[in-house]
Amino acid sequence: MGHRLTTSRLGRRSVAVLAVASVGVLAACSSSSSGSSTSSSTSPSAKGSSGKITIAFNMGAEADPFFIAMNVGAAAEAKKLGVNLIWQGDPSVYSPATQIPIADQLLAEHPSALVIAPTDPAALQPVVNQALAQGIPVVNVDTHVNDISKVLSFITGNNQQGGAVAADAMAKAMHYQSGHSYQVVVGMSSPTTTTNVARLAGFKAEIAKKYPGIKIMSVAYSESVAATANANVNNWLTKYPNLKGIFAIDGTNATGAAAALQAHGLVGKIALVGYDAYATNVALLQQHVFAALIAQQPTLEGQMAIADIVKYLRSGKSKAGIQHLVTLPNIVLTPSTPASVLAKYTYPTA
Amino acid sequence: MTAQGQPLYEARQISKSYGSVAALIDVSFALYPGEVVGLVGDNGAGKSTLVKVLSGVHAPDSGELFLDGVRRHWKSPHEAIQAGVETLYQDAGLAPHLTIGSNVFLGREKLRPGLLGRLGFLAQQEMEREALADLERVGIAVPPSNRTVSELSGGQRQAVAIGRAVSWARKVILLDEPTNHLGARQSVEVLSVIKAARDKGLGVVFISHTLPHVLEVTNRIVVLRLGRVVRDAPTAEFDAESLLGTITGLIDGA
Amino acid sequence: MSSVTDKPAKPASTAVAASPGRLRSLLTNQQFLLLVALAALVAYFTSRDSVFISSGEVATMLATFSELILMAVGETYVIITGGIDLSVGATAGFAGVVAAFAMRDLLAGHSPEALVLTVGTVICAAVGVGIGLVNAILMNWARLVPFVATLITLGAATGMSLVLTGGAPIGADAAAINLAAARIGPLPYLALIVLVIVAVCWVYLHLSRYGRYTFAIGSNAFAARAAGINVRRHTTSVYVLSGLLAGLTGMVFYMQLGSGAPSSGNGAELPAIAAVVIGGVSLFGGMGRLTGTILGALILTVVQSGLIIANVSPNYSQVAIAICIAIAASLQALRPQNRSQT
Ligand SMILES: Nc1ncnc2c1ncn2[C@@H]1O[C@H](COP(=O)(O)OP(=O)(O)OP(=O)(O)O)[C@@H](O)[C@H]1O
Ligand SMILES: [Mg+2]
Repeated sequence: MGHRLTTSRLGRRSVAVLAVASVGVLAACSSSSSGSSTSSSTSPSAKGSSGKITIAFNMGAEADPFFIAMNVGAAAEAKKLGVNLIWQGDPSVYSPATQIPIADQLLAEHPSALVIAPTDPAALQPVVNQALAQGIPVVNVDTHVNDISKVLSFITGNNQQGGAVAADAMAKAMHYQSGHSYQVVVGMSSPTTTTNVARLAGFKAEIAKKYPGIKIMSVAYSESVAATANANVNNWLTKYPNLKGIFAIDGTNATGAAAALQAHGLVGKIALVGYDAYATNVALLQQHVFAALIAQQPTLEGQMAIADIVKYLRSGKSKAGIQHLVTLPNIVLTPSTPASVLAKYTYPTA
Repeated sequence: MTAQGQPLYEARQISKSYGSVAALIDVSFALYPGEVVGLVGDNGAGKSTLVKVLSGVHAPDSGELFLDGVRRHWKSPHEAIQAGVETLYQDAGLAPHLTIGSNVFLGREKLRPGLLGRLGFLAQQEMEREALADLERVGIAVPPSNRTVSELSGGQRQAVAIGRAVSWARKVILLDEPTNHLGARQSVEVLSVIKAARDKGLGVVFISHTLPHVLEVTNRIVVLRLGRVVRDAPTAEFDAESLLGTITGLIDGA
Repeated sequence: MSSVTDKPAKPASTAVAASPGRLRSLLTNQQFLLLVALAALVAYFTSRDSVFISSGEVATMLATFSELILMAVGETYVIITGGIDLSVGATAGFAGVVAAFAMRDLLAGHSPEALVLTVGTVICAAVGVGIGLVNAILMNWARLVPFVATLITLGAATGMSLVLTGGAPIGADAAAINLAAARIGPLPYLALIVLVIVAVCWVYLHLSRYGRYTFAIGSNAFAARAAGINVRRHTTSVYVLSGLLAGLTGMVFYMQLGSGAPSSGNGAELPAIAAVVIGGVSLFGGMGRLTGTILGALILTVVQSGLIIANVSPNYSQVAIAICIAIAASLQALRPQNRSQT
């Protein structure tokens, strides 16, 4: 059988299998995209300019709770203003490779306007340019293309500010006093996720400015898997018996960190500041598992994007009263935040 | 030895194609108890295909099989085995990663007594021991122990495969080139194994390209050419030259 | 079944080369080396921070191990038949999510936790079995190769998890978290249950007829069929087993997170396959020991936790795992001879 030969081939093949498998995952996810796209209202012919306004809304990963919440805001506003909304993105993959074909397809339907949350500032620029060339006005939400000079408006949350208020909330929960030292850790998804990076920068800047006693001991990545985030925090809890704070920088890390604190019976003893107001996270906030939860405002972003566009189209394409750059602050929620306010910022699930 | 009474195993008008390749065309032949039938023909003549039809690996496209006079439709090799038909395949009939004992007992594993057995646990030592005894009983010398088949020489593997077929067979043994890979002495051993099986009243189909072996051990010879039976006659009617001529087509089948 | 490793060889029956020591005779070469590697890793991480071998940390690692090992065990069976199951991670995630919906509703109705978790476990198992059956149908009837068939179910299960949950975790079950965290010494009860399942799978793979057929099919499917084994039925059952174990992994995720998170199984097939490969199981089928897979999974777990305990930059985590695979694969290539593995 020639074992030396077959086994060394096996080595190579195993690596290949792993590589191909990971590519395949992406392929499988993206290929299923067009099938399950949703549209909030039917809008076959958007062409007739005299007819009803049709707005195409395109984002990275449709199933992200953030975009689901944005959809709720956009759909409500569209209904209120009596316009059509086509909501379409890849179901699960946040990548220009999957976003561009979907955006192209949307433009081919000649919508009255395009609202887009680009997954990459450079890669999606041609799509935006093409829309503008076709006379289709463009709004950017959440993220933007490189050149936004011709974009009607850009509406986004402020992740850097979110990181800063997270530091404030953590310091407050730890009863920070100068002269003392506080060990904290940060759970991220990956070293390159842009929102994560901005939040971490804001967090670090605020600490440097106001809380010299806070020391970031370690940063670890979850690869967007809650179980990995959970394992990371479990490991930290043994590594750092004097740990005072955890910044769980996104929804996945929040889920994993919350479970770890509960498992170790450390709820209330370690200041856990999480991100994203998923319903489960808000419930855990009310049980004091989170000391604070930083909420974005996706519903408002969606709502404002539609409002801007409709105002522009109905005013004979006048930019009057439309702000070119809108930065919505991230909101700090704590266990003492009134229930009605919590409800307002909890990400709706369609 | 003249064949008489009811055939042990009989094929009537068997045809089988692989896609556009017609491997067997209207092949009929009969095997009687205590008889060795030689199946000869050039490479690609259809011998192995016939064996696979007889052993239940392939269902024929048309034609009928009779075992002990009863019409049979094998749905799987399992059914043929159950009915007493054992086969040595030309191509890889053994699992190379399994031990000799595991191969001999493959599909017929011995289980432990009692509850463990009912839970499916194997009586491995017993199987290894019995396998060795079986192989020795049929006169095949293989290296002892629980080595895996991949650690045996080609001839030793062949010996294990033959031993397995012979020790399990109750009615029919189909041997597709059993002397492949074997040295001269082991080939002679195999021939005597075949004779012993014949003497016990089994029916043996023996495929070989070594014509002197065929002439030595068979009672009757069936010659296949391009999927058809071109000659089916008692061995006594052939000599080395006429058999070769019939196989190659230089001499017309009678 | 090997022979040398599992049974005291009858003295008279064979004259094998001089018996090479008890430990070595219990473990094939590769496993012995894996054990050495594992010991070296543990020693290194302990030297960086002795908390690494504290009972709390061991419990943490056993919890992580529990999330990985069931999938790796199923994958071992599948790979020994010569196939591959890419859907295990997605199955775990999907099963956990489906069960989480049911458990959330039951909890809302104030059902006792024991009932809730039992129902959840049954649902996870059923979902796993279902996906395993779909895999088998795609292979046996649609004639797809395992790689493609299980890639399809991977995509489908991942997509359905997202659609069902909208990407957010389902449920907030603190009682489940506490149950999962309960332990005797360093051993969580949940891990204990998982280890019992692993032990049963070990015994069945190496000592039973079911395992024998699994090896035979991977070694030579034609020979297996010719010997009367129903290869299709057996292969189907192996993929169903893999699905079942992946489904149960979904329950392990749920218990440790207190919720069904759609992301929990994302990419989890890769460490599962990596554990099998590191463990020396041949991707060509027919050969391998579950002991190897267990050691492989332990090594991956130890590396994952150890990098955090040693405070090594997380960027090295992927690299470290890649190195493990590379070393394991070369070990196989260097092995003088592949002894009987079955
Ligand atoms: N699995 C297969 N698929 C397609 N064609 C096949 C297959 N097996 C055999 N054949 C073809 O069927 C014909 C008969 O083949 P078979 O193996 O029965 O010949 P044989 O007489 O046993 O030859 P040999 O002496 O070389 O073993 C050949 O033309 C061969 O190419
Ligand atoms: Mg042949």
